[in-house]
Amino acid sequence: MNRNEYFEKYNNKTHGLGRIFSVVTLILLLGAPFLIGAILGAMPDLGAVARGFLSVGLIWTVSSVVEFLIYTPMLGAGGSYLAFITGNLINMKIPCAVNARDIAGVKSGTPENEIISTLSIATSSLVTILVLALGVLLLQPLKGVLQSPVLQPAFANVVPALFGAMAYKYFRGNMKIAVAPLLLMSLLFILVPSLTGSTSMMIIPSGALAIGIAYLLYRKQK
Amino acid sequence: MSVMAALNSAPLYLICGGIIGFVAIICVVFIVRAYKAGLAMGMDRVILKRVVTSSATFSVLPAVGILLGVIALSGSLGIPWPWLRLSVIGALHYETQVAQAAAEHVGIGGLNPEAMTLSAFSTIALLMSLCIMWGMLLSVLFNKGYLKKIGIKSPSENETKLNKKSGFGDLAMSAMFIGLVSAYIGSYIGTFVSSNGLFTFTGDWLPLAVVFVSGLVMALFVYLSEKKKKLWVDNFSVAASMLIGMSSAVVLSLI
Repeated sequence: MNRNEYFEKYNNKTHGLGRIFSVVTLILLLGAPFLIGAILGAMPDLGAVARGFLSVGLIWTVSSVVEFLIYTPMLGAGGSYLAFITGNLINMKIPCAVNARDIAGVKSGTPENEIISTLSIATSSLVTILVLALGVLLLQPLKGVLQSPVLQPAFANVVPALFGAMAYKYFRGNMKIAVAPLLLMSLLFILVPSLTGSTSMMIIPSGALAIGIAYLLYRKQK
Repeated sequence: MSVMAALNSAPLYLICGGIIGFVAIICVVFIVRAYKAGLAMGMDRVILKRVVTSSATFSVLPAVGILLGVIALSGSLGIPWPWLRLSVIGALHYETQVAQAAAEHVGIGGLNPEAMTLSAFSTIALLMSLCIMWGMLLSVLFNKGYLKKIGIKSPSENETKLNKKSGFGDLAMSAMFIGLVSAYIGSYIGTFVSSNGLFTFTGDWLPLAVVFVSGLVMALFVYLSEKKKKLWVDNFSVAASMLIGMSSAVVLSLI
């Protein structure tokens, strides 16, 4: 068997394994909440899941399509199956694969890149799993501390803490896009404070406005 | 048993740990296959080993950052579920936003540990799994066909195709997140200004203060990374900004 035939066979098997592993992982992840619900005696509220999906899930669906289109050719078959199973793409897997590609001196789209990318992402995922498992083990003695009433304001404000960090990251350099949705949303919530209970639904008009402004700026630049 | 005790109970560790173990096995299978294939295709063993060791060392710091995310979410969702979500598919910013949206739709207002119920938890857990499955699903359905269709003739041609595709896409993604963040910050401003009557300025100001503190810390990290070239801080910037912002909520609520 020559080198090309060998790679072809390897690649076909990668797709086969990637598909099987992805489907099994999907089933496990979607099944887990039901299994947990059955054990705890509290099944998921499917109506709330549907409403939540319509508000925030659609954004992540679009985001997933974009990520799939951009990163799949960059990572190759094995790398992309693994990256989409293990997540943390932008903050870890992509830079790790690009770093490995530079070390090995291979070009994207080549059989060598397929090997390097797979090795890199699989190793990175395994290390993440090990570090997190070790961390979770070390967290056990701290469980009581984490649940203490003094710390509850911290955990009640995990979302504002995320959005503060994200706001700085996304607003800087994009202030022309950010001003209008931020002002509009602030005004809306000030005038109709009862809307705060369904903030996730307001993401849709706010996001649409931001994308519209971004598109106008993009067209103007071209 | 309290809600938090149930969310940290042995069956949950077993379920989440089992799934994580399965994904670890997938990683090992792919490492072994790729390493063997690389050798069979005549690639240098030393380079293959270097790729493994450099990828391992490269990943340790970001993994610690992800662990901080587990700590951040553990107060409202227990330890096992965030451990699973951030080990498999997830990313901290995604998990927090989806969990928050799900919490609103189950009627507990938000990711508040005191308001969490078991039913709310299982609903949040399902929505978190559902919203992020598309990358995997698209891979199952289209990975092979897409890679074949792209028909990579040369690496430079491939890069050009990718750049064309990501033109407005990148900007649209940023705009989408700007819209999302604006909606939430707007809601904190609205709560503070009008929740006890229009323009009374007596509502809960803590979320707004936390936004300010974590944004400020993020600015510091960006300064260190971009101006002082301390690129390693990028591994922790989001998680550490969050933790410092959350800590400020504890301090401010004591005042």
